[in-house]
Amino acid sequence: MSATTYGWLILAAPLAGSITIGAGWRKLSPQAAGILGVGAIAVSFLSALGALWALLDVPVEERQMVDSLYTYADLGGIKIDLSILVDPLAVFMALTVSGVSMLIHLYSLAYMRSDEGYRRFFAYLNFFVFSMLLLILAGNFVLLIVGWAFVGYASYALISFWYRRNTATAAGMKAFVINVVGDIGLVLAAILLLRELGSVDYLTVFDRAPQHFAVNQPTAIAICLLICVGAFAKSAQLPFHTWLADAMEGPTPVSALIHAATMVTAGVYLIARAHPLFELAPTAADIAAFVGLTTLIFAGTVALVVTDLKRIIAYSTMSQIGYMIMGVSIGAYGAGMFHLMTHAFFKALLFMAAGSIIAAMASRQNIDRMSGFARAMPFTSGLLVVGSLALAGFPPFSGFFSKDEILVFAAERGGMYWIFAIGGYVGAFLTAFYSFRIVFRVCFGDPCEEAEELIRTGLPAHGPPENPVSGEPEDVAVGFPGADHHIAEKNWEMKLAMGTLGVLALLGGLIQIPGVSHLLESFFDGSFGDSKLYTTVQVPTGTAWAGLLIGALTSLLAISLAHHLYISDRSLLARIRAESSQIHDFLAAKWYFDELLDLLIYRPLTAVGRFFDGFAERWVVGGVVGGTVAVVRRFGSLTRTAQSGYLRFYAAVLSTGTVGLGLYFLIASS
Amino acid sequence: MSTEWYLVLSALLFSTGAVGVLIRRSPLVILLCLELMLNSSNLALLAFSRAHGNADGQVFALVVMVVAACEVVVGLGLIVAMYRRNLPLDVDEARVLRK
Amino acid sequence: MTVDFNAPDIDYAAISPQIALMAGICAVLLVSVLGKATNRNLVTSTSLLGLGSALGLMIWQSDRNTDLVAGALRLDGLAASAAIICIGVAIYAALLGVGEPAFFENGQSRHGEFNALLLTSVLGMVQLASAQNLVALFIALELLSIPLYVMSGFARGRRESLESGLKYLIVGSLGSATVLYGSAFIYGGSGSTDFGAIAAALGDGGLASDPLIGIGIALLTVGLAFKVSIAPFHQWTPDVYQGAPTTVTGFMAVATKVAAFAVFVRLFEVALGPAASNWQPALAALAALSILVGNLGALGQSSLKRLLGWSGVAQGGYMLVGLLVASEVGVNALIFYLAGYALMNLAAFSVIAIRERESNLGDSLSAVEGLGGERPALAWALTISMLALAGLPGTVGFFGKLYLIEAAVDGEYTWLGIVIVIGSMISLGYYLRVIAAIWMRSAPDPASLATSALGPIDGGSPEGEREASGSRLLIVPLALVAAAAVFFGILPDPLVDFAKDAGRDLIATVK
Repeated sequence: MSATTYGWLILAAPLAGSITIGAGWRKLSPQAAGILGVGAIAVSFLSALGALWALLDVPVEERQMVDSLYTYADLGGIKIDLSILVDPLAVFMALTVSGVSMLIHLYSLAYMRSDEGYRRFFAYLNFFVFSMLLLILAGNFVLLIVGWAFVGYASYALISFWYRRNTATAAGMKAFVINVVGDIGLVLAAILLLRELGSVDYLTVFDRAPQHFAVNQPTAIAICLLICVGAFAKSAQLPFHTWLADAMEGPTPVSALIHAATMVTAGVYLIARAHPLFELAPTAADIAAFVGLTTLIFAGTVALVVTDLKRIIAYSTMSQIGYMIMGVSIGAYGAGMFHLMTHAFFKALLFMAAGSIIAAMASRQNIDRMSGFARAMPFTSGLLVVGSLALAGFPPFSGFFSKDEILVFAAERGGMYWIFAIGGYVGAFLTAFYSFRIVFRVCFGDPCEEAEELIRTGLPAHGPPENPVSGEPEDVAVGFPGADHHIAEKNWEMKLAMGTLGVLALLGGLIQIPGVSHLLESFFDGSFGDSKLYTTVQVPTGTAWAGLLIGALTSLLAISLAHHLYISDRSLLARIRAESSQIHDFLAAKWYFDELLDLLIYRPLTAVGRFFDGFAERWVVGGVVGGTVAVVRRFGSLTRTAQSGYLRFYAAVLSTGTVGLGLYFLIASS
Repeated sequence: MSTEWYLVLSALLFSTGAVGVLIRRSPLVILLCLELMLNSSNLALLAFSRAHGNADGQVFALVVMVVAACEVVVGLGLIVAMYRRNLPLDVDEARVLRK
Repeated sequence: MTVDFNAPDIDYAAISPQIALMAGICAVLLVSVLGKATNRNLVTSTSLLGLGSALGLMIWQSDRNTDLVAGALRLDGLAASAAIICIGVAIYAALLGVGEPAFFENGQSRHGEFNALLLTSVLGMVQLASAQNLVALFIALELLSIPLYVMSGFARGRRESLESGLKYLIVGSLGSATVLYGSAFIYGGSGSTDFGAIAAALGDGGLASDPLIGIGIALLTVGLAFKVSIAPFHQWTPDVYQGAPTTVTGFMAVATKVAAFAVFVRLFEVALGPAASNWQPALAALAALSILVGNLGALGQSSLKRLLGWSGVAQGGYMLVGLLVASEVGVNALIFYLAGYALMNLAAFSVIAIRERESNLGDSLSAVEGLGGERPALAWALTISMLALAGLPGTVGFFGKLYLIEAAVDGEYTWLGIVIVIGSMISLGYYLRVIAAIWMRSAPDPASLATSALGPIDGGSPEGEREASGSRLLIVPLALVAAAAVFFGILPDPLVDFAKDAGRDLIATVK
């Protein structure tokens, strides 16, 4: 089979799974739905492997295959195909997404078991995977936007999965609204591209763009910035980041799948995909890189002080995506994608471990209440440490290699790009620190009440169900989290998923070691071979190893500092906190970003809104629109009055019309 | 006599028919008036046929006569059906369907 | 004067669909006379056999492009496409007619008469679509209309039906007389009844500004506008639609429009093409008026058939836009829309017909209230139909309107494109009302659903009552048309190709 056939299979399996579970949920048992869900993704993953195999079979320069199922619309110069593009980039993303999704589905089998909405969950989850893969495999901007919007919807549905929890539905709406802002940016970009280049097909666009646009032509910059709006909204970069932390209201597997491993990386993929455009608009690319850098520092600092376990990991996600955005924007496409993959492994792992711990804490998520889980949950704790080491970039874990590759690329480009390298190492320090803050707080120390209970009885703690954020009492009926909690220690599915990810997080980095192996780089030649940056900026092996050394030292330093503060000398921590309470408050308030948005956007908008409510609503809407409606009604009733039922009246109207037309033609022809 | 006069007569007949349809209330008379309109067309067709010196118009007129007969048959059939149901034979009364 | 008579050379293969229809008419009449009078299944099967073979022969001949019967008719892509749609609609109507309560009188089945009339009317439509001579046009128009007058007044026991028959007959005859008088003037002006010769006379002879031709065009416009219900010649439409038996209304609403638009296109683009700059502004005004009047009139209707009648007026206006731009894009858009229009209207009318038989609420909006819960299949079909008529994306109506607007813009009638959009916006006001009734209201009192629509005295019969349950059979064709309306909204290509086929020969003639 050709690579494109596999491509269609990759898409078909999760779609079929979603439809089957969604349509047949009354007939399917929850077990059957779960197995169907996992099976569909497994088929997708195997197809992705098949696509990889088929792609490696053809020469490098032919590794961009487009296949069109049918032409959706062909009007007035616009030709829109339902087509997919299978190239190394797409296959790489499809492999990562379907592979991690498969493991997360597996984890969910056990984790969500006692939830009333078990079947709904798998239908949504499969639909999400389908949308994400559609976004990845799309062969043109229109299909990309379709996938993009579907993903946004899936994210909304899954964040609000516990739909009777008010905080969850509010978070879902927030995520959806911000995502729609991004969609608009993307749609505008596609319209501009269509107007300028007369096509929305990737390959045609990338082919025509260099002839059509001069470097840094304003239109090209505008297009790239609009694409960035889409990318930033989906990838939770400044200033569109506020939804991601709230999105942690969703079930933990959702956080792992959507808000760590896959959906939020769509922006990175998009920039990598559109790299020929960004290389024509270096200014836009630089802006994107700066946004990435700012986000990575910002989110890293916030993660230092947040106390909600899942939110710490969420801020860490923003920060790590900042690295990737920075990487693909400065031209380190391979490195950016490499980090995307390793991040998917270790971040999904961290979320899974967090989920297991939260289950043991009876849904409470505050790390201040957690301690001493190392003895209570050795498996979970062990993998939490593995994930944290990978996140902290500790050698030889996967994050160690991938993160440094981005930073040395920046250093190698030199000039102002040094800022990205230095900023990146600062960020790496923060990362290592906060990731071990979690480890030291959660795993070490005397066991907390819940950990104690687990050790004593072997059963996870149980409390009255309540909302972890607002503390409101809750039900366990449909629309709320299930009655029982499931921990990795007691479920082989969760163990298997976490164990696999643990191995990947440990070894995933080895596919690309400077001077030793460069599997990824040569694989990506098929997608990025046309890029000037990708081919000319070659990092010498020596520099790369120097970068790795700095990275390792940074990580070690940060981890030992964390150890000092959280284990050896806790009084120092209290002292620091007391002395720098202002900084702490500033960070804990997330740099007052929500307040800033409130002041800058929300308030002026509501003021405008009030104005329009008072003025426009009454005069414009009430007057013009209301007037129009009244006029339409009036004419409607007039038309009906003319329909008097009198046959002779009809004949008269007909005759009048005839005379009128006759007169017109007489005049027109004379 | 030139063609114009035939046309004037035909136009007069057509208008008479049309006015008849508009002002008479009995369906029977209306049917008659419709016949008048069709026949005024026939007159015009024949006049043009003569003027152009070809037979197309005459053939057309013959066809029209057949068609006119069909229309009348259907019309009378409907009127008989209405009569048998004791519905008033007045088109102004036929206004159950309106608005 | 001696007249040499040469029998024209007749291409029997090309007129075989018409022969099949004629044979079908005779067979239906014979079967209904000789067989048991109540045996409607036999009659309907015979009729379906005739229609089916006509359809098959038409498809077989559909790639022809030739003059027939001494140039009176022409078989080309336009004629074939229009004929295929019309025959398809008639097959649907014959199926719908099996359980139509109006076709029973005092326990006697009158399906023989109905099917014979149906076939005759279809024969007229097939001829009309291929007419390229004023005489053939007139004959075909009458052959199409006269059976429809009878069918409208078919329920002799119902006052509404008789009234609608009479109204249709009188106003229709007025329209026919206008067409005839117009034809006479065109003949007088150009000296020929043949479309090609008229075009030649108008083009080369510089007759386009002849007053005789001008009046002729005006009168022909009125007559044809009447047939496709363009305002201000539309007023018969809602009344007749409401009064006629629903089966007949469905057939009439769709098939007449298709055939009349086909000849409208042929007459105006071929014969009167050279005078296009004269008639374009007039038709544009009529189209705009029709769109506005139709959509305004449909607001606040509580009878579904009336509502569809008004909506038909507006849709006729949309389609007229495709005609008046006088371009290939326009003709393609028009045929595409006609095909889509057939799908969406058949779905709507069959749901109305089925509900009429199940409840005693007739065709009023309340008959479909709560349908979403009671009969989801019917509810979905009607919903799809309404969405498609409104032109929402994902339905065939969307692409239809898109193509029409494109044609309007392309033909420098951008303002008509805007009128189409405004009209569609107004139209949401009544289409969505139907959808809201289906899904958001609760079902009416079950007592009113129990009995058949009409007592025996009103023209219904115990036979009809028993047949009410037989409407289940209709679900299959109903599902087919509704699915097609969605299918072509997602995959418009096959229908676009069909429309392009229809336009291909005609455009070659004009160019």
